[in-house]
Amino acid sequence: MENKPIVEFSHTSLQFPDVLANDDVSLAIYPGEVFALVGENGAGKSTLMNILYGMKQPTSGEVFVKGKKVVKQSPAGAIAMGIGMVHQHFKLVPSFTVAQNIAMCCEPKTKLGLYDFKSAEQTVRKMSQEFGLEIDPSAKVNTLSVGLQQRVEILKTLHRGADVLILDEPTAVLTPQETDELFAVIRGIVREKGMTVIIITHKLNEVMAISDRVGVMRRGKLVGVTETEKVNERILASMMVGREMLFDELDRHETSGETAIEVENLQVLSDRMLPAVNGVSLTVRGGEILGIAAVEGNGQSELIEAIAGRRPSRGGSIRIKGKDTAGMGPGQVRSLGLSHIPEDRNATGVSGVATVEENLIIGKHRQREFAAAGIHQKKSAIRTYAEKLFERFDIRGAGVTTQAKSLSGGNMQKVVVAREFSLGADVLLIAQPTRGVDIGAIEFIHKSILEKRNAGCAILLVSADLDELFRLSDRMVTMFEGKITGHFEAGEIEKSEIGYYMTGGVEEGEDA
Amino acid sequence: MKELKLLLAFKNKAKLNAGYLLSLAISIVLGLLVGAAIMAMGGHNPIAGYKAMLSGALSSKTAVGNTIAKTATLCLTGLATAIASQAGTFNVGGEGQLYFGAMASALLGAKLMGVSPIIGVPLCLLAAIAAGAFWAYIPAVLKVKMNVNEVITTIMLNSVAIYFCAFLSNGPLKTGERGIASGTAKINTDLAFPKVIRLSNLTTSIFLSAAIALFVWYLMKRTTTGYELKLTGQNPRFAKYAGLNGGRLMILGMLLSGAICGLVGMFEVFGLHKRFTDSVSNEFYYDGMLVAMIMRYEPTGIILMSFFFGILKIGGTGMEMIGIPDEIILIVQSVIIFFMAAEQGIAENLIARRLRKRAAAKSIGKEASER
Repeated sequence: MENKPIVEFSHTSLQFPDVLANDDVSLAIYPGEVFALVGENGAGKSTLMNILYGMKQPTSGEVFVKGKKVVKQSPAGAIAMGIGMVHQHFKLVPSFTVAQNIAMCCEPKTKLGLYDFKSAEQTVRKMSQEFGLEIDPSAKVNTLSVGLQQRVEILKTLHRGADVLILDEPTAVLTPQETDELFAVIRGIVREKGMTVIIITHKLNEVMAISDRVGVMRRGKLVGVTETEKVNERILASMMVGREMLFDELDRHETSGETAIEVENLQVLSDRMLPAVNGVSLTVRGGEILGIAAVEGNGQSELIEAIAGRRPSRGGSIRIKGKDTAGMGPGQVRSLGLSHIPEDRNATGVSGVATVEENLIIGKHRQREFAAAGIHQKKSAIRTYAEKLFERFDIRGAGVTTQAKSLSGGNMQKVVVAREFSLGADVLLIAQPTRGVDIGAIEFIHKSILEKRNAGCAILLVSADLDELFRLSDRMVTMFEGKITGHFEAGEIEKSEIGYYMTGGVEEGEDA
Repeated sequence: MKELKLLLAFKNKAKLNAGYLLSLAISIVLGLLVGAAIMAMGGHNPIAGYKAMLSGALSSKTAVGNTIAKTATLCLTGLATAIASQAGTFNVGGEGQLYFGAMASALLGAKLMGVSPIIGVPLCLLAAIAAGAFWAYIPAVLKVKMNVNEVITTIMLNSVAIYFCAFLSNGPLKTGERGIASGTAKINTDLAFPKVIRLSNLTTSIFLSAAIALFVWYLMKRTTTGYELKLTGQNPRFAKYAGLNGGRLMILGMLLSGAICGLVGMFEVFGLHKRFTDSVSNEFYYDGMLVAMIMRYEPTGIILMSFFFGILKIGGTGMEMIGIPDEIILIVQSVIIFFMAAEQGIAENLIARRLRKRAAAKSIGKEASER
């Protein structure tokens, strides 16, 4: 790897309206290597690759491809320079055949100037043999599995002459077998054809399995580049999430209550109808916070949604305060005394076009206090109540009559917290309570959660932020690919160690 | 198809705010100007033309009666669109629901010979409500249970209802009376709505219409149900998460919408025709739907805008009297709709252009300061 870099970023930064997506990134990638780019969601990995592929322009800094400085790159220009990108969401025409998709934009013509289907199929057949990517050129894309569709995408970039291949979260949609096949393909094209492959991922076991070198990104910065064999998953995990504790110690009373959430051998499917939660069992008592530590996409979201009644479970059972919730919808589960802060506040936690007060009153809107006979809304009582919450939860914005979407992310989250914490529920499901929230609001939300715990509520907490989990949880479990991989009391494990269990390591001896 | 064109024009769902009302005012003025230009090209005096329109709609008792009756129909059909859309469903099938309401009430009204209005009228009202709601229930359930797009089903069911009613009134249920080409048997005239103003179309159904309009406004703006409907329509994911039964609310919205349309059909029969005829409605629902879309499904706005469109529609006869074809009215109406449909695009374009300018100015300033 003494040769010249094939791709080089030099002090590249990209400023979005409210975040610095890439912060002074300098990175060289050499021909013939598999380079893995890892980091949490929003760390800037995809943004960096989008700059390389010409989809975004850096605000400062330079990019070089094969020694040439790239100015005002477009995807077409990037393709011409030999860069190919396979996006997370495929860009194929489902009703076209494999060959038609691959030959798109450079279709072979017959003498009469018509589309030469035969020649297109031949080319594809030849390529698929050459690169060891088995596929039927005449099959329609909509009949193919996701893994094969990805293969079509890869062939498409190769057909356009790419020698640098960017794969954005290629395994997110794949089954384990398909992942193995993909890795075999990557090794093949690198070894035989001298391709350079950049793979964006947050699954650390895959980094270890496939890459020669790895770069870790955190909050827009490239925090480390190293040869993969010199590190292990634990080191990478702590590089990915490692940050300092910024907060005071929280007030924590000893409490103990009855078991409030009991999940037994739960099975839940994801939106893609793949198993997302695979035999999870856990219990949460009153007065304790159980934290779930997991890398995004390992079933924790589906688990929470199933407990909240928002997603049907396929097997196992969920009991809230002793009542089996099988077949219940969110409304019925809530009526058992459950509140829920969802992970996606924009799409789920609030109605952006509704006013702040409309967002705050839901759940209580049919109570006598706010509706005569449960029908006629008492606007002034609602206003007073909303203003009270607005003040108590320190929501900053133009007032309770403005649309919720006009609030900043942190204040929108405070609206969700204010509503859910004021319903009088004693079982709380909390997902990503402080994602994208500024430090002051984080401190406030943490204190509110601890108050609820001290008051005897049973709390199940999911967070991608390990600091948050370590700060708040009384107990912690780690989840990986839908299963619980570890179970720890507070203080029993270090932040740097937990990454091992979050990425597939299994606790020795006892099971969770 | 008229309804499809409308859908394409108004796929956005912006809020009714000051900026929007300004666009609306500009569109109306532009519409009237285009109408004036065309009148002038045809050798007519536009001012005289519009004067004739106003006097045609408002100068005599009969004219006022007709205008108010038209306003009521537009208003009810508009509110019917609005209440379904509040829960996030788009009822394009009001025309069919109207026909079913008209047919059901007409058939029952013809059966209730010798029954006093105190019993008979409520029964016929109920029949119209049930028939209209039934015809809206089918697409609603299909949407909620099987995720079938209600726009498609309601449009289809319109044709089914209209032609089925035409078949009945020209076939098996055709009246035996002489000199009646098509139509069902005459209703018990004791049950009919008497005229409020002689020779006009204004009948006592106006009082019911006013009550319905008030009820719908109250339901949409002041009740917990209206609030739940609104949250479901705005963000179904949020509504579900918060514990609302979105499916049930969508069905409720459609049922209410269909019931109102059924009643409009009944008012036509019991006020004017005294029997079901094919001409019971002349695309009344689409006119109301248009008003609702222009006013962004805002009930107060719909009630006010109905009056304006009522004047336009009835005023056309006044223009005819001085020799100006009343198609001018259609042109004015179309131009207004055209501009309102383009409103979002135009407004966004203007805003984007301003933002770009500001951003450019800023970056130049930044570069300068960096140097």
